[in-house]
Amino acid sequence: MKQSKWKEILTSNQMFIVYIIVVLCIAISMKTPAFAEVSTIITLARALLVTLCFAICEMVVIISGGIDVSFPAIACASLYIPICVFKENDIDNVVLAFVFAAAIGLVIGIINAVLISLLQIPPLIATLGVSSITQGMLLTFFGTRQISRLPSTIAALNKVYLFTYQSKAGNNYSMTALILVPIILYIVIYIVLKYTMLGRGIYAIGGDANAARIAGFNVVRLQFIVYMFSGVMAGIAGMIYCVLNKAANPLNLMGSEMMIIAAVVVGGTRMSGGHGTVLGTILGVVLIGLIQNNLIMLGVPTYWQTFVVGAVIVVGTAITSLKELAVQKNQKV
Amino acid sequence: MKLLKKIDHNILSLLGMYAVVLIAMAILNPSTYYSTLNIKSWFYLFPEYGILTFGMMLCMISGGIDLSLVGIANLVGVVASYMMVNIGGGKECGMGMIIGAIIVGLIIGVLCGAFNGFLIGFLHIPPMLVTLCGLQLYTGIAMIVTTGPGITGVPQSYINIANGTIAGIPHTLPMFIIVTLVMSFLLKSTTYGQKVYFLGSNEVASKYSGINNFKVIMTTYMISGFLGAISGILTSSHYGSGKSNYNTSYTLLSLLIVVLGGVHPDGGKGKVIGVTLAIVLLQLISSAFSVLRIDTVITDLVYGLILIAVLVITNIAAKRATKVKTK
Amino acid sequence: MGEVFLKLENIKKSFGGVQALKGVDLEIRKGEILALAGQNGCGKSTLIKVISGVHEQTSGDYYLEGKKVEKLTPIDAIRAGVQVIYQDFAVFPNLTVAENIAMNNSLMTGTKVMNWKKARELAIEAMEQVGAHMDPDILVERLTVANKQMVAICRAIINDAKFLILDEPTTALTKKEVENLFKIIRRLKEKGIAIMIVNHKLDEIYEIADRLTIIRNGEYISSGDIKEYDRARFIHDITGRDIVESVYVPEKSDGTEILKVENISREGAFENVSFSLEKGDVLGITGLLGSGRGELGDALFGLAPATSGKITLNGKEIEIHNIEDAIKNKIAYVPEDRLTQGLFLDRSIQDNMVAASIGKYFHGGKLDHKKIAEDTTEWIGNLSVKIGKQTDAIRTLSGGNAQKVVIAKWLNTDPELIVLNGPTVGVDIGSKSEIFEILHKLAKDGVGVIVISDDLSELVQNCNKILVMRNGKAVAHIDEEISENELYKLFSEGGES
Repeated sequence: MKQSKWKEILTSNQMFIVYIIVVLCIAISMKTPAFAEVSTIITLARALLVTLCFAICEMVVIISGGIDVSFPAIACASLYIPICVFKENDIDNVVLAFVFAAAIGLVIGIINAVLISLLQIPPLIATLGVSSITQGMLLTFFGTRQISRLPSTIAALNKVYLFTYQSKAGNNYSMTALILVPIILYIVIYIVLKYTMLGRGIYAIGGDANAARIAGFNVVRLQFIVYMFSGVMAGIAGMIYCVLNKAANPLNLMGSEMMIIAAVVVGGTRMSGGHGTVLGTILGVVLIGLIQNNLIMLGVPTYWQTFVVGAVIVVGTAITSLKELAVQKNQKV
Repeated sequence: MKLLKKIDHNILSLLGMYAVVLIAMAILNPSTYYSTLNIKSWFYLFPEYGILTFGMMLCMISGGIDLSLVGIANLVGVVASYMMVNIGGGKECGMGMIIGAIIVGLIIGVLCGAFNGFLIGFLHIPPMLVTLCGLQLYTGIAMIVTTGPGITGVPQSYINIANGTIAGIPHTLPMFIIVTLVMSFLLKSTTYGQKVYFLGSNEVASKYSGINNFKVIMTTYMISGFLGAISGILTSSHYGSGKSNYNTSYTLLSLLIVVLGGVHPDGGKGKVIGVTLAIVLLQLISSAFSVLRIDTVITDLVYGLILIAVLVITNIAAKRATKVKTK
Repeated sequence: MGEVFLKLENIKKSFGGVQALKGVDLEIRKGEILALAGQNGCGKSTLIKVISGVHEQTSGDYYLEGKKVEKLTPIDAIRAGVQVIYQDFAVFPNLTVAENIAMNNSLMTGTKVMNWKKARELAIEAMEQVGAHMDPDILVERLTVANKQMVAICRAIINDAKFLILDEPTTALTKKEVENLFKIIRRLKEKGIAIMIVNHKLDEIYEIADRLTIIRNGEYISSGDIKEYDRARFIHDITGRDIVESVYVPEKSDGTEILKVENISREGAFENVSFSLEKGDVLGITGLLGSGRGELGDALFGLAPATSGKITLNGKEIEIHNIEDAIKNKIAYVPEDRLTQGLFLDRSIQDNMVAASIGKYFHGGKLDHKKIAEDTTEWIGNLSVKIGKQTDAIRTLSGGNAQKVVIAKWLNTDPELIVLNGPTVGVDIGSKSEIFEILHKLAKDGVGVIVISDDLSELVQNCNKILVMRNGKAVAHIDEEISENELYKLFSEGGES
């Protein structure tokens, strides 16, 4: 009994990703010894911060039985509009910036929810449409120009550090305090998904929406919460991106939805809904992040990246699907 | 009768939109919009995305979706360019090599489609996920082939495919017409076409009627890949180069056209005539935008709005219809 | 006996044009076990859905504890103490056993937190009561059907139910589990809970129920103390008949054997089943849900093929591993669930008619749409299907006419054997007899006809051979006239191993 449980843990999807990550890290360290340093964690954390925020929200959406490809567009709108408005009116308030960003995200999230939950439009097409509308409005009414001089309190946030690490080569690496956002977010989502009825309801509607309705869950309400929450988080993540990049660019994040979905799916979340774990998503993001940021250290040319990521997702989903089929076929206890 | 009315309804509303665009342009800027030059420019452009859109349409009728079409198109364009430039000798590339490159390109398109179809039909991975992965994968391969920048220097006769004319008519127009007719025949007059509709309207009943769903799915995505390949060849010929990130907006565009043309996102419904009308309509709209010098970024906005509006209207109409029935 | 908990008066419910309930009365008191009996399609499921707030009645009055209920949502019903264990269980495959069991409880108390420890405790306690042994931490998708039902039962009993409805709860349980369940039901009854069991196993009803309500074809038939019903009255009220009117007698057979099935088995579904079919025979296969009757049909069509045994069709030994094999050997199958398995609801009548035979219209490089239309017209005439236009969507047809189209779809493939699983569910009486007329004519023409059904009166009247299944085994081969009441005994006699 105990042995079989160990076996189950060691052969689970998540452990599989851990193995790949470990192998990848060892390989990179052998080729580039500088990789095996605390500084790597600091740079990676900075690079993956925004993706982490997106990925966990995407996971929640997929668990609930939907999908959302409008994150990047929401983020772009939520970072660009407040900065534009602030510049125009000489406002400089970092708290207000984040509230503004969250509000924009909330509005777009509500639009998504209305289309998907009330009007029953397939989630992919609905969010794709919303994404394009958002992007179009942003570029039409606010322009396409990058704003590199942020209001000072917002820019200052970039220089708030948790700690600074000095590498052997004498370079200073500072951990941004914004890393607390995904850390708190992940802890909160872990608790909500696992220990609240709201979280269990999200799993329930993704597993069998009809059974959930019979059991007495308010399916529409749950869907609204999911899309509204991910809208708000996408907005906040957008503002963080702006801070980290010291510039407001209305286009940079576009196209990143693929990476987000990839990370979530590789982390073991089933596209059909109802399954997915916080830990898996972290691992998925780290794996995809390593490939994107550090594969080059292995001597793999950058133009291989897209393909490698694609191959990892295909293999990841194929394994998940095959396991799913196996569960369906060989019953049962 | 009711069904007939419904089809008419969709086509009627499309024709209505034609009227709006054409009349508006006749008032706003007829001299530029209706100039021969402008009208001629339409025929160069819409076949490129139109042919690809038929692939999207086929997959959606079967109850799936193909988001990898742009990836397939670019991969095909890149490989064909690579063959002509790096093996065939670039500008001096012989006719044999050009034809060879095109054939290899088409085969690659079909293989990509087969890969999609296999994952969907055999492993039962959701089509949306498979083709999203496919997009990444095929774009990735294209990037590896190009090592980043585009491949330029294709022979003039290849460039002529998309840019040349016969008797004043762009080559692309007859090509588009042929594809349209073939698609129409395929869906209406072949066993396979009927099976696609059956599969799309009820997968289980289709299985219980003895239809081999796996075979139908494979065929569907292979044809879609083939159409993507044709579009890729036209694109690379049009730009005179192969690149991994041309026309990324075509995914949204083709989805929009397909939905606008009356194909139901849940599958089982849709006609070639509706989609064809929608393809040309979109060309008229985008041309109107450029004549009126409206920023291209607005196009995306308008496309998104049309997509959502059409879906909302169809869904509300469908809901109302079922409500009436149950009463 | 306690006070009245629930009272229904003259409940009517119609879907579109179909009237599922035509005025049903029902009354149940606290601390009482009521059996609701009736044949398949009599409206039992609709009635349950009205009680539990899933459907709203078209007309009629609904009283809970003496108070008239105007509008009831599912969660209102649960709050009021009405708990239903549906036939499809409505469990969450992606959640653990413990969570599934504790879910409704948490929802009802309105708690915002998920207490895993408490969920596990509740689950273990509930499972102890039922006598089930499952790992509470395992995902429900990995459970057998029987255990999934156990989860559903556990889930209902841990809630403070005042009224528990069990829709055919014992079909998938072993005898020991049934005994266990009955023990719990009696305990719940002593606590003053009202219990309604939907069942048609005669012996179980006599064992557990205090009172009985019988409905037939959506109509209320009778109600009373279980002691007022002897077996004869019970069966009479359920079937509505004493005497069988006309019985199908095939023309004298010339002895041509069409189908011979020898010792076919499929693990977990049926074992060592043999039967044969001569020209003119209409074979009925019956048995309770889960007895293997449906699985036998699935096996003949290659959906879940038999793993051993021999099948001979018209003198040729055939192997059926998948649907394509079945089609190649000209076997046709009218599936059980017409709406999801048989029909392409949004497609036209004409399209549905040729769905299984589309290949034969492809000649000269294209489909012959004219011939398709002509053939459709011909079948519509032959089978007297009542339609508007043949290009109308098939969802506009009534159940009987839609079923005729499904049959025609297969006749258009010139089958040598046609298997019909529940061909008359949701079909009106007129079309029912017409469908059997068609089948009799087919049998006469030398097509093998097998009807799988639990509508005993139609089997008795329309089949000259009947095979009774129980627990995956063929327990009776009947090839002479049999009264419906005798067949009902064979069919229902609880006998679980």
